[in-house]
Amino acid sequence: MLWKLLTSSMKKMWKDYIVLLFGLTVSIAIFYMFQTLAQNKAFLEANALIGSIVFVFHVGTFILAFVTIFYIFYATSFILSLRQKELGMYMTLGAKKGKVTQMMFFETLLIGFISLVIGLIVGVGLAEVIAGLLMKQLGFNGGGFEAFYSSSLITTVIFYAILFLLTAAVNAVKVASKSVLDLVRASQQADPVVTKGWKIFFGTLFSIILIAIGYYAMINMGTFMQVGVIVAAITVTLGTYFFFMALLPFIVKRLKSIRSLNEKGLNAFTFSQLQFRISQLTKVLGTVTMLIALGLGAMAAGLSFYHNIAIQTSMIYANDVAVYEPTEEQLAEMDSLEFLERNNYSYKVTDEGVYFLKDDLLNNPPLIQKFTGDIDQLTETARVDDPLDQAEYSDTATNEEQMISDDWSTALRNELLATFRIFGDRTLYIVNQEKFGQIESEVASVMVGRVENFLDHEDTLAAIDEHNKEIASGYTGSTPDMIGSKYDNYTSLKALANGTIFMGLFLGIAFLMMMASVLMFKLLSSASADTHRYQMLRKIGVRRSKLSASIYKELFLVFLFPSLLGFVHVIVGMEMFSIILIEPFTKIWIPVTIFLVIYVSYYLLTVQMYKRIVLPKEK
Amino acid sequence: MTKPVVHVDHVEKIFGKKSENSFKALDGVSFDIYPGEFVGIMGPSGAGKTTLLNVVSTLDNATSGKIEIAGKDITMMKQNELADFRSSELGFIFQDFNLLETLTIYENIALPLSLQGVSSRKIKPLVHQVAEKLGIKAILAKYPVAVSGGQKQRAAAARALVHEPAIILADEPTGALDSKNARSLMETLEHLNSHHEVSIMLVTHDPLSASYCERILFIQDGALYKEIHRLDDQAEFHQQILNVLAEFTSLDRS
Repeated sequence: MLWKLLTSSMKKMWKDYIVLLFGLTVSIAIFYMFQTLAQNKAFLEANALIGSIVFVFHVGTFILAFVTIFYIFYATSFILSLRQKELGMYMTLGAKKGKVTQMMFFETLLIGFISLVIGLIVGVGLAEVIAGLLMKQLGFNGGGFEAFYSSSLITTVIFYAILFLLTAAVNAVKVASKSVLDLVRASQQADPVVTKGWKIFFGTLFSIILIAIGYYAMINMGTFMQVGVIVAAITVTLGTYFFFMALLPFIVKRLKSIRSLNEKGLNAFTFSQLQFRISQLTKVLGTVTMLIALGLGAMAAGLSFYHNIAIQTSMIYANDVAVYEPTEEQLAEMDSLEFLERNNYSYKVTDEGVYFLKDDLLNNPPLIQKFTGDIDQLTETARVDDPLDQAEYSDTATNEEQMISDDWSTALRNELLATFRIFGDRTLYIVNQEKFGQIESEVASVMVGRVENFLDHEDTLAAIDEHNKEIASGYTGSTPDMIGSKYDNYTSLKALANGTIFMGLFLGIAFLMMMASVLMFKLLSSASADTHRYQMLRKIGVRRSKLSASIYKELFLVFLFPSLLGFVHVIVGMEMFSIILIEPFTKIWIPVTIFLVIYVSYYLLTVQMYKRIVLPKEK
Repeated sequence: MTKPVVHVDHVEKIFGKKSENSFKALDGVSFDIYPGEFVGIMGPSGAGKTTLLNVVSTLDNATSGKIEIAGKDITMMKQNELADFRSSELGFIFQDFNLLETLTIYENIALPLSLQGVSSRKIKPLVHQVAEKLGIKAILAKYPVAVSGGQKQRAAAARALVHEPAIILADEPTGALDSKNARSLMETLEHLNSHHEVSIMLVTHDPLSASYCERILFIQDGALYKEIHRLDDQAEFHQQILNVLAEFTSLDRS
């Protein structure tokens, strides 16, 4: 009989149970998705630039597990809060305590089991889709990644089975330890927020000081190094919690005290809901902020490493293209590249040496990247202006005057690509017209050019590299693996970085999804306690559309504050990378967009589910 | 002759589908309430008091018949119109106060005005004025949880009054109060009625509360059973009410 009562009232409260199931499912799916990567050691080691990547993922697993444990304990105690009044009633009617306790235990377990099954299915799908999308976007085909990974499956099942058993036991013990009266009287009373002035003042002060110290440490990472990282991690985290405990309630309070704003329409209600909500959610909001910062930071850092590759290669090469002995066809194709500058240089090749014509070099001196010695701008583009007064220069000359100068050497090797890859162990010469004419060999030429953005012409550049390799095999008898061109360098660096970035993004996305779902669940689980307020407002004549607008507004603000603060943390935090990255903020819009898409989806979903719970049904 | 503020004309309310298990909660009820009247609705449990109040307060719609409030036919209105109508023409006082516990008493009272877009400059004097009338000026800054039941109900009454609705609908307003607070609240309502011409429709089962009314409509099985008027003496009226209620009890026994 009790079982029948139980299932029937579960049906009655299906809205609350859906929220619960949803929350658990998301948690399990994300945990599993993360594990598919974290446990695939072979994949991690084969595809990462960073040697300690396995360790990074262990830390990630730890953080995720930590968050999950709290999440699950909270979520399952939510079952209890839904049921205790009813259980108490059964007990007053004579149901035995043992029976009721047993019921609670199995109910928690049952819900855990259902969500585990759904969660794993969703998790496999999620891993498949996200990994597929990322790999496609990055042009990275990391072999060995499996969305359906049995060892992760087992870990997830064991982890959650233990968690659910534990929480089921906790719930049962809680029921057992309460008296009938406790249970019957249990109701969610919304205590109004009374914040003490001095608490707010000191909290706010602390919050600002701590965050300021953290930011200062991060901006001046070059001076503080490791100590700075530790100091920033501690102060920013603490400051964030203080922010939500003191500063934010203070801001909302100020907002409320603007009478013309507060007394407009439903604003008074919206703000007070917000105030009430924030006081309930301080810890969650703080945690969400920090994890947004971490997740977004991981993605932003990963991606800026990626985009820095192009910038890095541009720091070595002033020109984008060098074509040896271009064919008529290639020359025609070159026109489509819209060169900013292009020059041809004549040369002759013998068995011992490569001879570049001095007049060509002097008439159109090539651009090179010169090292400046300045930390902020390592190189600058400049034209070679070293004089070439002698009749002949070489890189093996014994007297100083006939040595090819550093800048000309850079020009020949980096811009004209005249290296061993093309010419083998031949000596490089720069000779005047007279000597050039005496060399018994065919005149050939190399075309060097500079385009607006070399990434716009990846296919052409790849074809040119292949062409140059063929020329090289003509000179040396073997085809080199690399030709040493700018594009060549770019692709090999990219291949190295891709795996790392893939993992960074994967990690970041998993964290963001987890965070947003924690916030969503927290909001929805308290929604049924708000129902009577909306019903009352409806009674005294508030249009449904206004109630709906109030929900949009309130939840928007709840979602906004952690994202804003988390975002600022990331922007300042990225300054840390300025000591290793050239432009840490390049294309920061990509992780920001990913973040916004995830976050906004959760916001809209939360609003819809919240509305379903609290708004009275319309006939 | 002045027009009635509430005009109820042959109203029927049937719950359930027409063919099976249908239950007629209101069976052709008709009555008028004129401006400045203080009318009580009484009757045994299940007689249809709450249904009548819900229908008049536009929270539920009548199956047939016509209801006009302040000259407007509410039976033809759409959901949003009804919401606007409630917010401008009706004032509610409920048994369980229904104050928003997240708002201060001041904000609770100000809410109907804010909803109608009254500027905050005008709101303050209006709230203070009505709080003065109800003797709750001292607790305006407090939250509902920090004040007594009687004060809560006064705050609820202030909220019902502040936007000067056509009529106040009170549903067992003394139901959750002790006798001292109940009496004091009824005295206040009577005072509002006699000195400020506020029209009130009160649903109650408490004879003492009802004895503050000028006129009482008794309903039984969804239809009007009897109507009594207060002449002068409240104690006498109280007795009269008890007599009518006794008739119900004897009806039940027979």
